[in-house]
Amino acid sequence: MAEYYLDCMHEACPIPLLKALKQLSKMEIGDVLIMGTDHNCSIINVVEWVKKQGHAYDYVALGEGEWEIYIEKTR
Amino acid sequence: MSSAKIEAIKKQRQVSHTKGRNQVPYGLGVVLGAVIMLWAFHSQEGRSLQWILGILMGITLQRSRLCFTAGFRDPILVGSTKVLKAVLIGLILSTLGFYFLHLQSAAQGIADPLQLPGQIYPVGIHTALGAVVFGAAMVLAGGCASGTLVRVGEGYAMQLIVLIGFIIGTLLGARHYEFWDLMLISKAPTIYLPSLLGYRSTLVLQLLVLSLFYYLAHQYDRAHSMIQ
Repeated sequence: MAEYYLDCMHEACPIPLLKALKQLSKMEIGDVLIMGTDHNCSIINVVEWVKKQGHAYDYVALGEGEWEIYIEKTR
Repeated sequence: MSSAKIEAIKKQRQVSHTKGRNQVPYGLGVVLGAVIMLWAFHSQEGRSLQWILGILMGITLQRSRLCFTAGFRDPILVGSTKVLKAVLIGLILSTLGFYFLHLQSAAQGIADPLQLPGQIYPVGIHTALGAVVFGAAMVLAGGCASGTLVRVGEGYAMQLIVLIGFIIGTLLGARHYEFWDLMLISKAPTIYLPSLLGYRSTLVLQLLVLSLFYYLAHQYDRAHSMIQ
């Protein structure tokens, strides 16, 4: 299992989602992607897509308007 | 849905997370400012009503994360129509609201469609041109008018640049409005369906068309989903 970090700070929709799409396609099943973002619309955007794809996900607020999204590639 | 791996990473990374500053004083300051503004408007009844409605609209947009840009972008980009369906429900609800508003206006004897409440304007090639320019630019900018304002309000600095561009565009549009009006807008017809079909048939027709769009959006979303 590998862990990848994707820096999406100061990127507006839909860039974080497109970056995640690209990165996930390169990853193996069971790998985890960590995304850092300061755009809370992107959380909705990314989480909604990940949910539809059937991957596991969660996100936490780091405070000061920054969040981390975790995605485990499951299929 | 989370997983064991994600929970483990969350716990491991929690150590490095710094707790955010207490936001309550800022919130109280903003509420105080809003009350002072309301008090300043108290002699103008219309203004204070607009102020309260504006604040409620802003809160709704911020909390619901309704993004018109995502509504029209995500179906094409990622095959998701969740936001588009929310926009369609909004249109269905406002159709019902405007039906009663226009009935009331008709009872008051307002015959000119341009005088009615709502956005009734000549429709023509300029409508399509403007829609393409606005649609392409809002995807690049990451927000439409309301979305940009909400994000500036919540402190997303990048959107300030968009707001500056928005103001420049609006001022240029206002300055050159006469040119566009002469070239395109004044030549285009104003189509007001109730004067052609009657109020009730227009209401039924519009609700049917919007419901059809909603159904198509729903089917499109399901067709582009990996899990059923």
